[in-house]
Amino acid sequence: MAELSFILNGSRVRYDGSAADRLLDALRNEYHCTSVKCGCGEGECGACAVLIDGVLHNSCCVAVGAVQDAQVVTLEGYRETARFQALDRAFAELSAVQCGFCTPGILLAAEALLSRSPHPDEAEIREGLSGNLCRCTGYNAIVNAVKRAAEEGDGLW
Amino acid sequence: MVNGYVPASLQEALEIRAGQDVIPYAGGTDLMVKRRPDAQYLFIGRLPELRQITEDENYIHIGAAVTFTEALADPRVPALMKAAVSRIGAPAIRNAGTFGGNVGNASAKADSVPVEVAADAKLRLISLRGERVVEIESFYHGHGTHDLGPDELIAEILLPRTGLDHWYYEKVGGRSALAISRISFASVFDMQEDRITKAAAAFGAVSDTVLRFRDLEAMLIGRSVAEAKDMKPAYLRAYDERLQLTEGRVSAQYRKRVCLNLLEDSLRTFGI
Ligand SMILES: Cc1cc2nc3c(=O)[nH]c(=O)nc-3n(C[C@H](O)[C@H](O)[C@H](O)COP(=O)(O)OP(=O)(O)OC[C@H]3O[C@@H](n4cnc5c(N)ncnc54)[C@H](O)[C@@H]3O)c2cc1C
Ligand code: FES
Ligand code: FES
Repeated sequence: MAELSFILNGSRVRYDGSAADRLLDALRNEYHCTSVKCGCGEGECGACAVLIDGVLHNSCCVAVGAVQDAQVVTLEGYRETARFQALDRAFAELSAVQCGFCTPGILLAAEALLSRSPHPDEAEIREGLSGNLCRCTGYNAIVNAVKRAAEEGDGLW
Repeated sequence: MVNGYVPASLQEALEIRAGQDVIPYAGGTDLMVKRRPDAQYLFIGRLPELRQITEDENYIHIGAAVTFTEALADPRVPALMKAAVSRIGAPAIRNAGTFGGNVGNASAKADSVPVEVAADAKLRLISLRGERVVEIESFYHGHGTHDLGPDELIAEILLPRTGLDHWYYEKVGGRSALAISRISFASVFDMQEDRITKAAAAFGAVSDTVLRFRDLEAMLIGRSVAEAKDMKPAYLRAYDERLQLTEGRVSAQYRKRVCLNLLEDSLRTFGI
């Protein structure tokens, strides 16, 4: 059988563990991508969200074998982009981060939304982030920050 | 690779399925929550043969590994099916979750299944031995069990292309996103020359399998809308007697009340 390998934040990596292992655990323990959080382990909170071939997935619900040869992007990779800068600025300006546990997942959900719909209205933003739980902010600051990032980062998405 | 198979083609997948003790893995959203680190998965989620939506004269064929997000973006998928799958989970779950996985999980809470039952959908099952097409209703045997051979895969879901224009769908969950159905309800209605030709009602998440009662539906078949209106009290009473629902997180009594309300509301939208 072929070896298990995928492209993590632009670099090819090999995985020596089991194909049934959770991508979440592989990312944190094997590749030290600790932006990926385990909030629930059941697909309910979005704290473990990553992009797989550009599509938002909860990495606690993904086995490593399912990403064979795929592009996996975590916040560690995403933070190198101009789009991240726009979101980062808006989140800071509008105090959309408190404890920060949900933030990596929220940012990747925002990226997935904006890459599909660069000028979302509030309802679309709320729908796009509906799989990401935040225990701190009450969501309004997050929604406003995504809206502002879309406006100020106009042309990036 | 340790513990698992990533086939390059459907043919290869079927060979592995026939020769090894493997668990088909499509989107993983049901399987991974069950946490079986020793499982031997057959990763079929990215096989192009299972990811297509096609049409023939009579049916829309939705590949088993088509995700809910992909179906929502496809103009050929009927509005009734879109109404149901748009309410599944949240974006990341709809991006991963597939039609085959929803059926394969054999849960009466699977939200695409009441639609398939009400629409008289079929499943195409394949193995190295060949293929067979089964009615969705006859596929289920009870909670968590279905008629899938150990060497078979679900290849596609066949939805009729016509007769799905008059529909009703409602899902009752605890909240708007990430809510597992407490009750889901789909119905399809059709008429020809002022006579009712179809009045299908399917109830999800209230029993071991999705419920549909063709003998009760027969009370309305062949009737005019005016006659159906006269039949309505008897029709609703018959469902009241027949709906034997399981207790879950919500009481059987609550479930029955909601089922009957939804049935009545659906009749109303069809003018009955
Ligand atoms: C947070 C969360 C929320 C959810 N919300 C909903 C909801 O609102 N409504 C709902 O209906 N479901 C919901 N689900 C359940 C799940 O997402 C769906 O049932 C989904 O359709 C499963 O598809 P999958 O491809 O991920 O399945 P998998 O986990 O890959 O597989 C599920 C089962 O089907 C079998 N299988 C998969 N494909 C095939 C095939 N082609 N042939 C044979 N067997 C196959 C597998 O072996 C397994 O037994 C939710 C799940 C999570 C984690
Ligand atoms: S840890 Fe994956 S969704 Fe909560
Ligand atoms: S900032 Fe604390 S969970 Fe969102």
